Amino acid sequence: MSDWIDKQHSVVNRIIDGSITIDSIEEFENLIKAFPNDARLHRVFADRLVKEKSLNAADEYKTSARLFIETGLPLQAVASKIFEWRIAKPSREDGLAFHEALRNCVPMDTQAQKFFTGLAYEEMVALLTKLVPYTCPANTMVKKFGDEERELCFVVSGALEKTFHHRPENEEILQKKSRTNLVEGDFFGEIYPLTDENLSPSDIESITHVELLKISKARLLSLCTEHSNLDLLIQTLYKSRRDSDEEEFSKTVRKTTRHQLPMQVNLMIFQSETGKSPLNLSGFTDDISLGGTCVVLGAKYQTGHLDNLTGKNVKMQMSLPIESMRLNILGNIVWSKEISVEGKKTSIIGIQFKEMSDIDRELLKGYCCGSEAEQNLIWSLWNSLMEK
Amino acid sequence: MNEELNKVSESSPKIWALGGGKGGVGKSVVSTIMAFWLARMGNRTILVDVDLGGANLHTLLGIKSPARTLNDFITRKFESLEDICIETEEKNLRLISGASDVLSLANPHFSQKIKLITHLSRLDADYVVLDLGAGTSFNVLDFFLVAHKKIVVLTPEPTAIQNAYIFVRNAVYRKLSRLSSKNPSLQALIKIAMDPKNVLKIRTIKELIQMIEESDENDIVELLKKEIGGIRLSIITNMVRNDKDENAGRIVQIVAEKYLTISSSDMGSISYDKHVQSKVSDMVPIINLEQSSHAFGNVYEITNKLIRD
Repeated sequence: MSDWIDKQHSVVNRIIDGSITIDSIEEFENLIKAFPNDARLHRVFADRLVKEKSLNAADEYKTSARLFIETGLPLQAVASKIFEWRIAKPSREDGLAFHEALRNCVPMDTQAQKFFTGLAYEEMVALLTKLVPYTCPANTMVKKFGDEERELCFVVSGALEKTFHHRPENEEILQKKSRTNLVEGDFFGEIYPLTDENLSPSDIESITHVELLKISKARLLSLCTEHSNLDLLIQTLYKSRRDSDEEEFSKTVRKTTRHQLPMQVNLMIFQSETGKSPLNLSGFTDDISLGGTCVVLGAKYQTGHLDNLTGKNVKMQMSLPIESMRLNILGNIVWSKEISVEGKKTSIIGIQFKEMSDIDRELLKGYCCGSEAEQNLIWSLWNSLMEK
Repeated sequence: MNEELNKVSESSPKIWALGGGKGGVGKSVVSTIMAFWLARMGNRTILVDVDLGGANLHTLLGIKSPARTLNDFITRKFESLEDICIETEEKNLRLISGASDVLSLANPHFSQKIKLITHLSRLDADYVVLDLGAGTSFNVLDFFLVAHKKIVVLTPEPTAIQNAYIFVRNAVYRKLSRLSSKNPSLQALIKIAMDPKNVLKIRTIKELIQMIEESDENDIVELLKKEIGGIRLSIITNMVRNDKDENAGRIVQIVAEKYLTISSSDMGSISYDKHVQSKVSDMVPIINLEQSSHAFGNVYEITNKLIRD
């Protein structure tokens, strides 16, 4: 089951993007039981516990920080740790343990992630006390072209659009030059060298709900004066971005949403009561991996009794878009939730796969193959080269 | 599996395979027009329908019910592929029809596949054009990988681009997996690397090679590098309606170079041609189309490029 949970993100994504609302602490706790290794879910749960003024929030932040480290996301771990330590003041041992975990983390391939794993203990402590969490909703102008650059911002979650401008000679009106997306693990703020005064060369606007960690240039300058290695790390951070910007397409290589092609599925859900005939439903996959899938049911199946489906065995039939054969998979329903699709109520169910033939497994493997980075590059190139 | 082809003398035919993952992108139509032009240029050409689960290429050539199919070869009714070649209306162009009547052939045994591949390379022809089925099953990938020209056909749609890339990715990993078949630990590592969320955090072929290098498998590393370097794709974008559509092939080219470290050539695009579509719908032989058709003209240019490439 853990394999499935590691790969199955769409339910959690929907909770985080707000399209699924979790009504109660109990419901959250049930979700945590179903997805115990999902760092982001623990983080969202911790935020919810804070709103409830529950001291358990610190434990959830701690768990999410540990899981973020394990999944190679030190920036997100740092954000969780900042919130944890705001609730429960850490001992030196706590600090050292987190620092050791950070140092041992194998980060994902963005320089901002690598930056945090290179900090010495004193630098980490100094930086964490100065970093300020900031959130904003979608469609917020975070920075305007020509604004004074005063802070360094790390993108913890969400996505922003950066639009570069240029002003043609003898013309007053700015022209949009190029656009790029900033996503989790990116950073922005043209503040290096720290003694220079720069104006923003771009507009930066949030596309989704965004969480940032910010530090002002003045504070960073002060920290770098005390910790010379920190200055080197910041220098490396900015240099790496210049290098990667020189690659023709790297500035548009990522996109936050993993695109999965929906597939129509027919479900035969077996009733636990003897003598009851199976329930036949149909819907579309929302996300799929070798371990399981989420299926959005058609609106006509809204019965109000879908909680009862959890734990039931199911037989799935589906056709992959790139294959002519139908796949037959046996599984188990591990989760269900009511959602709204285009104004109509329906349900989404999470299915863990249990049995499939070797041929079906190979077909599914072929379909699911391709990392998020590969898919994102395809979609970024689609946006930049193909969009009408 | 390349060994089978490597043994063949210089007089053996040049094999071109057209694949691309998604059904409906026009692989069969492009294969047929390409084979037509190769034949019209004076080359002895054989078009082979390798869509073993759903053969229908014969209908594009106006043959309603082929007298002989691959099934007759696989079941040993005929000993040679030459015996099951069917003449077409076009001089120099013959067809080997697929075997849509035998479902089991959609997944032939390994030995059947090897036999087929070996005999394809013995055909008495200048060019053999393989029209592969949709999807990324091992059978499709194996025929793709043995070809001298590995041609990927896609249309300017997100799904087609995504599927074309997945097709190429799976072909590369299939190649690696076969090369490491005598080295279980290496094969296990390659299987792990195929999972995009693998625990070893191997994200690209380059990273995989680095990891193999670190395990002191220097001999195999050189072989893998050589073989991956030898995979050269030719990408064609079909059913193009405007200038931007022509970029679809470039997308697969860029992503494949970055993540799979394989080189490819964007061979150009084929305009959407309603005349071709209507002929296909009406089951009229497409080679009877006016040769002034845009699509025919585009495929002529691409075929010339492929011959020179």
